[in-house]
Amino acid sequence: MPSVNVVNGKQIVVENVGRSQRLVRFSAKPFVRMWHHQDLIAAILRREMSERFKGSVAGWVWAVVAPLLAIAVYTFAFTTNIKLPLSESAAGPRIGYALFIFSGIIVFNFWSEMAFRAPMLLHEYTHFIKQTIFPSDMLAVISTLRATAYTLISIVVMLLFQLAATHTLPWTVVLIPLVFIPFMAFLIGMSWFLCAIGAFTRDAGYLMINIVPLFMFATPVFYPQSMLPPPWGLVSYLNALTGYVEVMRDIVLLGKLPDWHVYVWTLFTSVFTFYFGYWFFDRYRNVIVDVI
Amino acid sequence: MSSSTSSDIVVRTKNLGKAYQLYARRNDWLKQVLFGWWKSFFKPFWVLRDIDLEVQRGESIGILGRNGCGKSTLLQVICGMTLPSHGELRVTGRIAPVLALGSTFDLELSGRENVMIGGAVLGLKRAEVLRKFSSISEFAGIGDYMDQPVKHYSMGMRTRLAFSICAHVEAEILVVDEALAVGDAAFQRKCLDWIDSFRKTGTLLFVSHSMAEVRRLCTRAIWIEEGRIREQGDPSTVIRNYHRALLVEKDDIHRFSASE
Repeated sequence: MPSVNVVNGKQIVVENVGRSQRLVRFSAKPFVRMWHHQDLIAAILRREMSERFKGSVAGWVWAVVAPLLAIAVYTFAFTTNIKLPLSESAAGPRIGYALFIFSGIIVFNFWSEMAFRAPMLLHEYTHFIKQTIFPSDMLAVISTLRATAYTLISIVVMLLFQLAATHTLPWTVVLIPLVFIPFMAFLIGMSWFLCAIGAFTRDAGYLMINIVPLFMFATPVFYPQSMLPPPWGLVSYLNALTGYVEVMRDIVLLGKLPDWHVYVWTLFTSVFTFYFGYWFFDRYRNVIVDVI
Repeated sequence: MSSSTSSDIVVRTKNLGKAYQLYARRNDWLKQVLFGWWKSFFKPFWVLRDIDLEVQRGESIGILGRNGCGKSTLLQVICGMTLPSHGELRVTGRIAPVLALGSTFDLELSGRENVMIGGAVLGLKRAEVLRKFSSISEFAGIGDYMDQPVKHYSMGMRTRLAFSICAHVEAEILVVDEALAVGDAAFQRKCLDWIDSFRKTGTLLFVSHSMAEVRRLCTRAIWIEEGRIREQGDPSTVIRNYHRALLVEKDDIHRFSASE
């Protein structure tokens, strides 16, 4: 069995399988590759993690200090008597609103970190891509895992803060993985798409720099989605982030199960983005090596 | 697969060609992506043309040629990093593309960390790298520098480390695009010995500008000029002719322009 078999610029894969089996293989492919390259993922992830706080004495303390500071500032900022949109929270309006914003920001920051980085992702690893047989599709996975680590720290800080303020946590927090994992898949898919585009043109990076801050207001970070007037409430779900923010708040702050319509929609955006991103990246993989 | 008849041929190319797309204006690639089905917006720049090559197991092939003649592209194509635009390519066996491992080193990281990453990139499992680590560092012989950032290394130390990583990848086909026998005489000796023993089981393809190295290591030399094989065969003959050509033919300034 030849390892490489190419005729006229097309990789020859000998397989006589039907459409349904091809679909199954395509669905499994990203996971098979992640499994296969797990040691490489771990090695590069380790290096990326140590890179973030290189040369600092406090190191990982910063990863905890940042969310702590943020939540402290939000709490103090809302001590004034402004009318708060979320007063039914058990923590009382002040801290409730701080947590409300913080939970939105966590989701949003996770997304924005990926959105900023993805277009330049392949450029960071040009040497590897050009000089070795490098599984460049794994870079999106690695960068998502890295951002995941910081996001998890923020979530833990938030839960501890909530526990300190209300002395209780809703049981629904155990469902966090059910929204978090689809969100990671969504981000990996988005990174595949953006980094493939970014390999061709730097415009993708500039576009994201302009778009991401706007999304901060297009996403219900500072207001609940339910406050939007009728047509816009539904329209806001076209921004896939809305769903994740809502579900996250339902299970972490309000202690209730999310509206299943919303949850199914987030699952759909997650699976769709993941596979569309992979399909797109895979399609241009061979061209990317030549243009980067 | 007809592997029984040609089991000893590890690399076979037929009519292999590789063209890069050369765009007159920077943004023409976008037009190409959008309207490529209608007409093409680039000039093809043929880096490789009509490469017919058969490499037997256990051969050691040195590839000669002037800058930009397509040597490295040939290796890249054989490794499967970039697809050929034309022709056939068939590679059998585990290929280790160590094109220029030294250039993938992260200067901020220590030698040790770079070994871990380099090993992973070459397809070794973490446990394998850990097991081989002492052997790798012994081969490189850079002592306590192993835990220093690579930026403090001399060029020689860097290549020593790169070579010893390559030497520990158990590959059947090793593809190298940098000087093999590097460093001082003692280390060169070690490299050459290693290559000799490697050739008992594996196949070596490498690009070099050092004629001495090619003469010493190769069973066959291939001279590539303007993307075609100009001559191949016995290393000393090819080297002699190549040298003669270098002296006679001037450094043509139009060499890198797109043809047609």
